[in-house]
Amino acid sequence: MAVNNKIRQFFFPSLTLKFLIRVSLVALFAYLFFGYLCIPFTIQGTSMDPTYHHGGVNFCWRPSYFFSEPKRFDVVTVRFAGIKVMLLKRVVAQEGEQVEFRDGQLFVDGKEIEEPYVRYPCTWNLPPRRVEKDCVYVVGDNRSMPIENHHFGQASKNRIVGVPLW
Amino acid sequence: MVKIKYLLIGVLIVILGILAAVIFFPNKEKRVKKQFNLLSEWVSRSPDENTFTLLQKMKNIGNLFDEHCELKAPSQSLSGSYTREEISAYAGSARSYFSQLDLKFYDLHVVFPEKEVAKVTLTGRLTGKSTAGEQVDETRELECVLRKIENKWLFGEIEIVEVLKK
Repeated sequence: MAVNNKIRQFFFPSLTLKFLIRVSLVALFAYLFFGYLCIPFTIQGTSMDPTYHHGGVNFCWRPSYFFSEPKRFDVVTVRFAGIKVMLLKRVVAQEGEQVEFRDGQLFVDGKEIEEPYVRYPCTWNLPPRRVEKDCVYVVGDNRSMPIENHHFGQASKNRIVGVPLW
Repeated sequence: MVKIKYLLIGVLIVILGILAAVIFFPNKEKRVKKQFNLLSEWVSRSPDENTFTLLQKMKNIGNLFDEHCELKAPSQSLSGSYTREEISAYAGSARSYFSQLDLKFYDLHVVFPEKEVAKVTLTGRLTGKSTAGEQVDETRELECVLRKIENKWLFGEIEIVEVLKK
């Protein structure tokens, strides 16, 4: 009988003041946590294949860059006007560095960079360019498409929102 | 008891009054955002759209723009000043390449730098399928200037913001 009451109380709790306060606090915490700190998102598109697949679900963890800067090889989310739609890309060069592609191979400051996460053949050629101050250079892992069809380039650091949780 | 009843009725009337005011007399920010909803509705296309709807939508799209609308894009070929009629014609021509089209706007931030002028920063996402069966998915950050002319908010300037600079 007591168990039945407990179950009933769990699914149909009495609307006491204590209960309402608890529900409000949980709702507020969830709103702040999932709205500003750990933002859920679904991956649409194949620009980060095979590391992240189309249709995958993940969370953007914002505190990662509260006290640090994005580093080379970090996978980051880049915002547009807000955080409802973001790009998922990998940082390949930092401010002041010179980046270029030669026959699909990435070069930073003239040195060839090993990229084990790039699994598909790439034939890109991009003349050298220097990453401006307060910017990072981001590219997707899937470079199998023609260079014109891939959205990549220099992004301002204040557009970097966070990192995917996994 | 009677007093409480009257009090509740009074509160209800006040709430209904506020709701009616919000719905029937939207503030200027809502009026500006409504123009984006209309643009989204009229640009979007379903596979079973008939010719009458197509012509009506083309005409409606033109009516959302000022006599002359300035387009600024990183690609110089698109930049320039367009008349309302040109915009209608281009929109109609562009829509005919797609069997299905969906334009959505996210993260709209509206400011009013001057009286009768609204500046909106937003993310625009265009998804669809071309008549050749190719999937389209383009996302851009936009900065739009709308001017209030004859009590209507009309698009006067549209700028495509370069989020990633190759």
